[in-house]
Amino acid sequence: MATVTVRLHGAFSDFAGGTRKVTIQAATVGEVLDALPERVPGLRERIRDEHGRIREHLNVFHNEEEIRRLQGERTSVRDGDVVHLMPAVSGGQ
Amino acid sequence: MAAKKVAILVGTKKGGYIFRGNADRSKWTADGPHFAGAPVYHMAYDPRDGRSMWAAVNSTWGGPRIERSTDLGKTWKAVSNPVFREDMNMVLRRTWHIEPGHPDDPDAVWVGTEPAGLFVTRDGEYWSTIDGLNRHPTRDRWEPGGGGLGLHSIAIDRGDAKHMAIGISAGGAYETRDGGVTWHPWNDAVHAKHLPPSSRGEPTVGQCVHKLLATAEPGQFFMRNHERIYWRGPKDKKWIETTEGLPTDYGFAGAVHPHDAKTAYVIPLDPRLRMSTPESTAGLAVYRTTDRGKTWKRLDRGLPKAMNAEVMREGLSVDPLEIPGVYFGTQAGELWGSTDEGRTFERIEQYLPPILSVTAAWI
Repeated sequence: MATVTVRLHGAFSDFAGGTRKVTIQAATVGEVLDALPERVPGLRERIRDEHGRIREHLNVFHNEEEIRRLQGERTSVRDGDVVHLMPAVSGGQ
Repeated sequence: MAAKKVAILVGTKKGGYIFRGNADRSKWTADGPHFAGAPVYHMAYDPRDGRSMWAAVNSTWGGPRIERSTDLGKTWKAVSNPVFREDMNMVLRRTWHIEPGHPDDPDAVWVGTEPAGLFVTRDGEYWSTIDGLNRHPTRDRWEPGGGGLGLHSIAIDRGDAKHMAIGISAGGAYETRDGGVTWHPWNDAVHAKHLPPSSRGEPTVGQCVHKLLATAEPGQFFMRNHERIYWRGPKDKKWIETTEGLPTDYGFAGAVHPHDAKTAYVIPLDPRLRMSTPESTAGLAVYRTTDRGKTWKRLDRGLPKAMNAEVMREGLSVDPLEIPGVYFGTQAGELWGSTDEGRTFERIEQYLPPILSVTAAWI
């Protein structure tokens, strides 16, 4: 288990009631995402859809790399890493 | 306890607003935007408990969600999302309509979704799927309308909590008489020009409902579809068309009188431009029937004459007072109201984001 910092940006900070930083213990990015709603109930159903897939219009970064360029949710995390939840620049409504 | 007053719940493309009226509905105080930046397709008030409000918030980020207030809109909290059966492999894309249930079913609240689905909660938090409709054997014949494959109308018979009708674009109308366990297509004699000729005579499935409502008379329903307007009473074996007298056949918004089952309101639009226009509808106007659609009267006093305006499916509402107020909102962000059943209109607000829904409530 590693201790990582999750930074919530834009709408995802709003869902968390304005919280911008959460500390989570996990071994992978996927575990970080699973643990977040336990710590921040406002993020329940906002990160994953009902089939467990990461929602559209959400980019997840491990440190400075988008996780689709790494091993996706299986990307390992280490002590001191930062995971960013960032609204995609998309939508347009 | 404060005296009740009319409130207008307004869903817009960029959040929801609550306009609270004074005693004679001549002044309004705006509260909002709630859910800032997110499209709010519909807002509802539950007169049964006198404190709950609901909002269908269809956010790009974080996905669609349903929010509930139990303090008349002061604070809001997201409840769980409706979920289709896993084997249907469907992801909720939007919530279209929220309908508090019949007074005889006091805890029920219904929602209609996209993909088209019907769900009910009785604890205000978790939704049960209505399999009799969501798994209906005709489902594979439902086609998305211009706004998507949405279940947008939920009409509950005023006299029978188990008798309901729903509307799907473009799946058609369906009826249940057993509280939602079993459903059958309910489209007898309805026009559907978009269907192949072989299907037009009896469009059992696939007609494009725009708005379906229960009137004040038990067992009677009102339907505005893509190209016609209909009524259906408890003894009718089919829908009765009543479009004659309107400037166009086309439109989305509809509302029924809270006490007079023969009175309804619609806003006709140009079918090509999807707006009221000076050429096709002689400008923006509400049309009212007081004889179950036999005749229609144009109501435009106070409304701008040359305005092109689009009023959406949920954009017209009537309050429940003895002399009801009539309210509607436009995609230009203007909220209009009448306190004399539509004889004269005044602009309540302008410069709002494009208005998606208007719901009048007595709170």
